[in-house]
Amino acid sequence: MREIHAGGKPLKKAYVAIFLWFTGRAIQAAAKVDKEVQKEFAALPDDFTFALGCLPNGPWMVVGKEKGKVKYFGGNLKCRPVHLRLVIKSLDAAFLILSFQESTALATTRNRLMTDGEVPYALSVIRILDIVEVYLLPKLIASLAVKRYPSWWSFSRKLAGRVGVYTRTLLGF
Amino acid sequence: MNLTNGFAFTCPFKTNSGNKALEHLPVELAGLNAFKPLIITSRELAGPKAIGTLINAFGDSGMTIGVFDDVTETADLNVVEQIREIFLKGQYDVIIALGGGIIVDVAKILNLAVSLKVADARQLSPATAIRDPLGPFVVIPTAAATGMETSKYAVLSGKIFTSVHLMPGLVVLDPRLTRAKDGKTVAEAGFAAFGRTLEAYIAPDKNPFMDAYAFTALRFIRENLASAVNKRCNKKESLAVANAVAMSGCVISNTDQNMLHRLGQVFQNTVHVHPGIIIGMCLHPFLDDCMKKDSSRIASLLLPLAGDDKYAAMPEAGRAGDALRDLCEFSYEIYRALKGKIPRTITEAGIQQYLMKDIFDIINQEPDGAYLRTVIDRVGGSSIKA
Amino acid sequence: MILPDYYEFCCRVKIVAGHDALEKIPALLAEMGSKKPLIITDKGVAAAGLVDIVVNALKEGVTIGGVADNVPPDSDLKVVNQLAGLYRDNACDAIIAVGGGSVMDTAKGVNIVVSENATDLMAFSGAGALNRRLKTLVAVPTTAGTGSEVTLVAVIKDHEKHLKMAFTSYFLLPSVSILDSRMTMTMPPFITAMTGMDALSHAVEGYYCLQKNPLSDAHSLAAVNMIHQYLPSVTKNPADKDGRLAMAVSACLAGISFSNSMVGIVHNLGHATGSVCGVPHGICMAILLPYGLEYNMHKRGETIAELLLPMAGEEVYRKTPKAERAEKVVSLIRQMNQDLNEITGGRHARYFSEVKDRDGKQMVPREILPEIAKAALLDGATIYNPEDQDYEENLLVLEAAWEGKPLDRNKIKKG
Repeated sequence: MREIHAGGKPLKKAYVAIFLWFTGRAIQAAAKVDKEVQKEFAALPDDFTFALGCLPNGPWMVVGKEKGKVKYFGGNLKCRPVHLRLVIKSLDAAFLILSFQESTALATTRNRLMTDGEVPYALSVIRILDIVEVYLLPKLIASLAVKRYPSWWSFSRKLAGRVGVYTRTLLGF
Repeated sequence: MNLTNGFAFTCPFKTNSGNKALEHLPVELAGLNAFKPLIITSRELAGPKAIGTLINAFGDSGMTIGVFDDVTETADLNVVEQIREIFLKGQYDVIIALGGGIIVDVAKILNLAVSLKVADARQLSPATAIRDPLGPFVVIPTAAATGMETSKYAVLSGKIFTSVHLMPGLVVLDPRLTRAKDGKTVAEAGFAAFGRTLEAYIAPDKNPFMDAYAFTALRFIRENLASAVNKRCNKKESLAVANAVAMSGCVISNTDQNMLHRLGQVFQNTVHVHPGIIIGMCLHPFLDDCMKKDSSRIASLLLPLAGDDKYAAMPEAGRAGDALRDLCEFSYEIYRALKGKIPRTITEAGIQQYLMKDIFDIINQEPDGAYLRTVIDRVGGSSIKA
Repeated sequence: MILPDYYEFCCRVKIVAGHDALEKIPALLAEMGSKKPLIITDKGVAAAGLVDIVVNALKEGVTIGGVADNVPPDSDLKVVNQLAGLYRDNACDAIIAVGGGSVMDTAKGVNIVVSENATDLMAFSGAGALNRRLKTLVAVPTTAGTGSEVTLVAVIKDHEKHLKMAFTSYFLLPSVSILDSRMTMTMPPFITAMTGMDALSHAVEGYYCLQKNPLSDAHSLAAVNMIHQYLPSVTKNPADKDGRLAMAVSACLAGISFSNSMVGIVHNLGHATGSVCGVPHGICMAILLPYGLEYNMHKRGETIAELLLPMAGEEVYRKTPKAERAEKVVSLIRQMNQDLNEITGGRHARYFSEVKDRDGKQMVPREILPEIAKAALLDGATIYNPEDQDYEENLLVLEAAWEGKPLDRNKIKKG
């Protein structure tokens, strides 16, 4: 008979945290570059904020609207009131999703990703995440991450968008 | 299926199966209002690797976990009492059984003891009344599972406890744990689950709810058991078999047709032969008899065994024969793959003559004892008797 | 049979079925330590004499703690609170819900309030808010369709604040579901038809949607088989006891399937049509089901084809070439709608243009379709649909379903 304290998973946690940071900034960037993302955000309430992260102890990513602009608010869940939480059940599940072994849609259907908040908000955010993933990832990987890869997008939308999102994500404006 | 007479069905457990299933445990437990689990297992029977994998899955949860890993094949109510004290002293709030067979039996009775708040677990007996659902209880089967883990039965020192409340609330099947080290273990579990579900599937009084579990289990075992036994990289196949084995626990808890199961139990309790071995060898004589009684029921087996196309292609008159042929092929494949590691007759199992007498004594007490004897006789029991 | 990389499946509800299943309630209550149930139902169910049958069946050994028949067609927070008060005042220790979807929702809501001693139901919405067993809830469905006797969801509306609260928890599952043929015996043919098609939509969508798993599949296959066999005949002969029981059982099987595998575009567009035009849910399901199959055909053709054997039997299966089996399933479902339309003397609508209200007015005018297509973007069922949907595609499907012509599958965007 023995009693054990559950250990940590620092490497996985770091990967997930870095990825969330990157995605957070990419959403902020995509909101400036892509019309569809703008449209989705425009339809959401003025101070709308959502968080994506994992149980039981994070990490988290908080993104929301402030004075009409979309901003990445960092990783502190308590930094402002959150309307919608997209919750991944465990760090390992988050790793599966964020290393593109499992698409967001698939993760949801595998009960790994739960939404806490109003459904229409969740659908909006999922559409935004899908678009951002298409910008960030090469076609081969992105087509694993989304239900269908938007092959009907014009070449210029893809190229200009991708360049714009990447520059802004890395430079943070 | 005839519904006119009415029926009842229940399957209280939730199944989580697949990649990283263990890592969902902290969230699952929180959903049960449980935060300090006590793991019941055995270093010897489940293996230190499985225990390590389970504990790692709690990583980053900040939880404190108790581990009792000393369950042995001979565990009895004294062991349960010992763990009961640990459970109370450590203020644990959920039981997780990791492994199969006796480990889960001990955990089930432990759950009974702590939920009924008895002063001493040794007071418990099959006559103990179990009215309300018990406390949160999770079963994590390994490849050594027999199928009874998810059932309403618990057997300890030959005493059989029966209640749907003994069934777990959650069953977690993780490919890292259900993968078998040797083909023999998988084959034993597979045969046991196969025989039990098969008997329920061809029963005249089956209901569509139980049937859904039985159908799935039969097809999974038929499609996967041979390759799970054969292949080295058999993660996917052994997970499918483990799923079927877990489902068989639900099936056996919802049927009165359990002749093969009872035969397996007798041998397990008397001579410690795995029930899967006995069920495997008795399948053919048993099905031959069913065929003589009502071949249409055997015909219905062709669908889960052979699949949609073969079933539809075969005219009705030929289905029963085809189902039996398919079954022969199936068990031949398994036996061949194991190259004699699993006995095919009572004689091969090497059961001593004086023990066979004990077995027949027990069988004779069963209401259908005379018939059961003829089954055993046909798989080599008679040669030992003589 | 396919084993997904990961799946979860749960249906803890005890199922008791038969022509005299109601008579088993007293023993079941005693098993669970309950003595005084509150019966929750609605006026329609009570007027049809169904509550009397239940009350009669409870004679032995049970004290009825009250019969509340004021559940509105749309669940209401006020009623939930009022019934919880009644439960407490009469010192009840169990709930028997007799009715359809809104009665079940209301009963589940009442169960949260009385079990958690809640003053604010809202505090228990959202994932993980409920984490212990609630009071005994016995569900007695009176329609063979919704499957809400085995679902873990309750939707309660706060009409004052215009809020719709969704509660999801395994603890909301009823303790027992009673499937008794007497409860659906008096259902008129056109309601039998549409609730039956609702059940079929659960079984079929549960079979092709993303969260499908081996156990939900097995439940779906059994349900599809029984519904196809019994729905037209029960609609024709309402007094067919065995057929009624078979439909109740298959609706329950279908409910278990879809509550574990979820539903897709048919429910997504159906919910939207219901909320924009007030068309009864079952009608939407019946009309949209063939289109949902067509919409997902390029991704799920093989899966859909597997439905042919349980639906039509060996002979049709054998005679249909492999490549045409999926389409055959669609045409069989269209044929069911056609047959039900004839049996009900035209009351069972086949297309949206045919749906009329009591005064004979068209309920879904063509010009409202864009509004429905837009509303569907806000409905969560789309998440589980194999293929993505956008506004244009929603409209495409709705227009085809309005006119009653097959979907032009070339117009669906493919990734």
